[in-house]
Amino acid sequence: MIRLDRVSYSYPRATSPALNDLSVDIPAGQFCAVIGANGAGKSTLCSALAGFVPHFYRGRLTGTVEVAGIDIAASSLAELAGTVGLVFSNPFNQITGARFSVRDEVAFGLENMGVPRAEMETRIDYILQFAGLAGLAERPPFALSGGQQQRLAIASVLVMRPRVLVLDEPTSQLDPVGSREVFTVLRDLAATDEATVVLAEQKLEWVAAFADRVLVLHEGRLVADGLPGDILASPDLQRYGLEPTRYTRAARAAQAAGLRPEGDTLPVTLEQAAEFFA
Amino acid sequence: MSGTYGLYVVRQTGIHRLHPLTKLVYVLVCLLIGWLIPGVWSPYIVLLIGVVPVALIARVLPEVIKNTIKTAIPFAISLIIVQGLFWTGGTIVRQLGPFSLKAEGLLFAIRGTGRIILAVSGFLLLNYTTRSDELMLALSQKGLPNSISYVVLSTLQVIPRFQRKANTILDAQRSRGLETEGSYLIRMRALMPLVVPLLLGSIVDIEERAIALEVRAFSREGAKTSLLVLHDTRFQRAIRWLLMLGAMAVIGWRFYLWLAPRLA
Amino acid sequence: MNLSVENISFTYPGGAEALRGVTLDIASGEAVAIVGENGAGKTTLVKHLNGLLKPTRGRVIVGEWDTREHTVAKMAARVGFVFQNPDDQIIERTVGDEVAFGPRQLGQSAPDALANATAALEMVELAAESGTHPYDLTAPQRKLMTLASVLAMRTPVVIFDEPTMGQDARGVALIGNIIETLKSEDRTVIIITHDIDFCADHFERVVAMADGRVLADGPAADVLAQADLLATTNVEPPQLIRLAQALGLPGAPLSTDGFIASLRRRDGTR
Repeated sequence: MIRLDRVSYSYPRATSPALNDLSVDIPAGQFCAVIGANGAGKSTLCSALAGFVPHFYRGRLTGTVEVAGIDIAASSLAELAGTVGLVFSNPFNQITGARFSVRDEVAFGLENMGVPRAEMETRIDYILQFAGLAGLAERPPFALSGGQQQRLAIASVLVMRPRVLVLDEPTSQLDPVGSREVFTVLRDLAATDEATVVLAEQKLEWVAAFADRVLVLHEGRLVADGLPGDILASPDLQRYGLEPTRYTRAARAAQAAGLRPEGDTLPVTLEQAAEFFA
Repeated sequence: MSGTYGLYVVRQTGIHRLHPLTKLVYVLVCLLIGWLIPGVWSPYIVLLIGVVPVALIARVLPEVIKNTIKTAIPFAISLIIVQGLFWTGGTIVRQLGPFSLKAEGLLFAIRGTGRIILAVSGFLLLNYTTRSDELMLALSQKGLPNSISYVVLSTLQVIPRFQRKANTILDAQRSRGLETEGSYLIRMRALMPLVVPLLLGSIVDIEERAIALEVRAFSREGAKTSLLVLHDTRFQRAIRWLLMLGAMAVIGWRFYLWLAPRLA
Repeated sequence: MNLSVENISFTYPGGAEALRGVTLDIASGEAVAIVGENGAGKTTLVKHLNGLLKPTRGRVIVGEWDTREHTVAKMAARVGFVFQNPDDQIIERTVGDEVAFGPRQLGQSAPDALANATAALEMVELAAESGTHPYDLTAPQRKLMTLASVLAMRTPVVIFDEPTMGQDARGVALIGNIIETLKSEDRTVIIITHDIDFCADHFERVVAMADGRVLADGPAADVLAQADLLATTNVEPPQLIRLAQALGLPGAPLSTDGFIASLRRRDGTR
């Protein structure tokens, strides 16, 4: 579904490349998390998948980015809309401001795609239900909380039925309540296997909870690619400016103190840790 | 939160249910007639027979009156002072110390005030009874570019956010020791540290919003659809044509009045 | 500098009562974290500490100064306040000038302001960027710059509103170090945060708020271990305490060392 072949990219005026010789294949239906320190290239990768690199930010892109069979560089943003959906951190800036209710806001993308009204109704009802917004359908978008607004942003993109959904740190500006709301929607999304999802995320505990696969970026390069359990408990994590969860750290400390045998698989989530220390 | 749909006042009346264009054309024609028909009192007459009854039926008359007064009074007062007292020549009605109140100036001010009141009340009547998204949709269907409709609608919603942001900036700068309380000079000096972040910060927001709009296929060419449905009737279309014909007749008549003495 | 919040209440004009009788004494050199769900009154409370808001009832004393008798700009010499969103304050064309803005407003001479700005930029590891335009920094860097712009004012009290939001592990560690430095200089540090693990790492005292009131106020280990109480204001205990509780370990460990100690105690008694 997504194919990157030797992709490098530099922003205009930048001295070093933001993406450096990246190659990766992501099959349809996979939920793939991208982790890395700030500046590692996570956001740039997200932008490249949605075509904003290079079509919006300009700059120099080499190699091939292919999403759902479309060569991004040879396409345009107008063509890509509806095929790739993008959600980013700031919930407020993703609301159009031109629609006065949650329902009308979700309709915005469908209206631009020219979807017939009857079909719009069905799709909107379904997605509002999915994102837990059905009870808020008539509310003004700006009157919602941060978490609700972010779920609205996700619903507004999902309703367009993109083949690929890209989420760039969707909870980094939310409080714990809002983050939990958004992650609940993402967990449901991961369970459906309908869309291919790429999620850039700092919160490793959540990544462990539902990603099928984890990519680690460091200074624009892909430095690790594997199963969450393996990647997140790997001793290399700190080399890439990432901090293992406290559960992993506690387990490692227990091994170092001789309280637990070396070689056991290290826990990443609370459940795994409870089992590890039981 | 009031003002969900701009100024729209939620009421279940026949006026609210009319097609937005019907109301828009009606208000514009009222304005045109009130402004073009000669006579000091013509704007007031149009106001009484054109605007007030409709506002009454739509059950927004108190709101229209209240906010028309609020908006129009400062204009009216300045008009009366400037035109009434400083009219050159003319008939003196009353002497007020060194100033003399002139009849011609007063009449001019009364007519000017009437025009302003008519325009403001007409605009309010339209906006109180018409959702702005429906009005913009109606105009888009008549060929108004989507980008203009987007700018108008988003501005309506972003203004309150802008005000909150301005307050936060003010707080942040005061917390860094910027004195904003005190003399006029101090407050003027504090203006730059407020305006600069407001503008620069908005640029960052605008870039993100542009991306979000692209994701939602905003720049996609081809036919668009709409979740909102506007109800139009043959009767309303006929009314709109009649109103526009009437307006053209008034314009023609007014043009004739202007032209005739020049041809004679 | 001692801070004393004396039974204050606050009602926003035409709005809800945001604080309902809050009393808090913070001694010089204390590090206090304020936690609680959005709308609990955390921001309203700290805005009283530098006079941005004046209490409707009660009073706030900052080292003998009653906040009602001084402008915010005056209070700024005593209480520094790092806002959440850096874009709400950037005014200068270079990072160095932006960080020197506060010291200059406080009346410092240009060389002094520059020296303080440079020192502050070193603390946030942005000294190399002092000639850069603020908007050429990344968003997390801009946030660190705002932090420096308040540190440069060298106030006896420093308030941070969600400083770790949007930062990666390195940024969080950096901010942690800054807080430890401030503590070692006997300056008072007050933080509002949803980052409970960060709170457990650096703050000895925690104030939990809900609905405009103080729900709990005490040593971090005591307050953060009360899962049921914290749940009422939508806060979860830190990861290690949650794990310790799930395992039925004794005590409320705030650090990995503490956790290992609890583990030893349990395993030792088995």
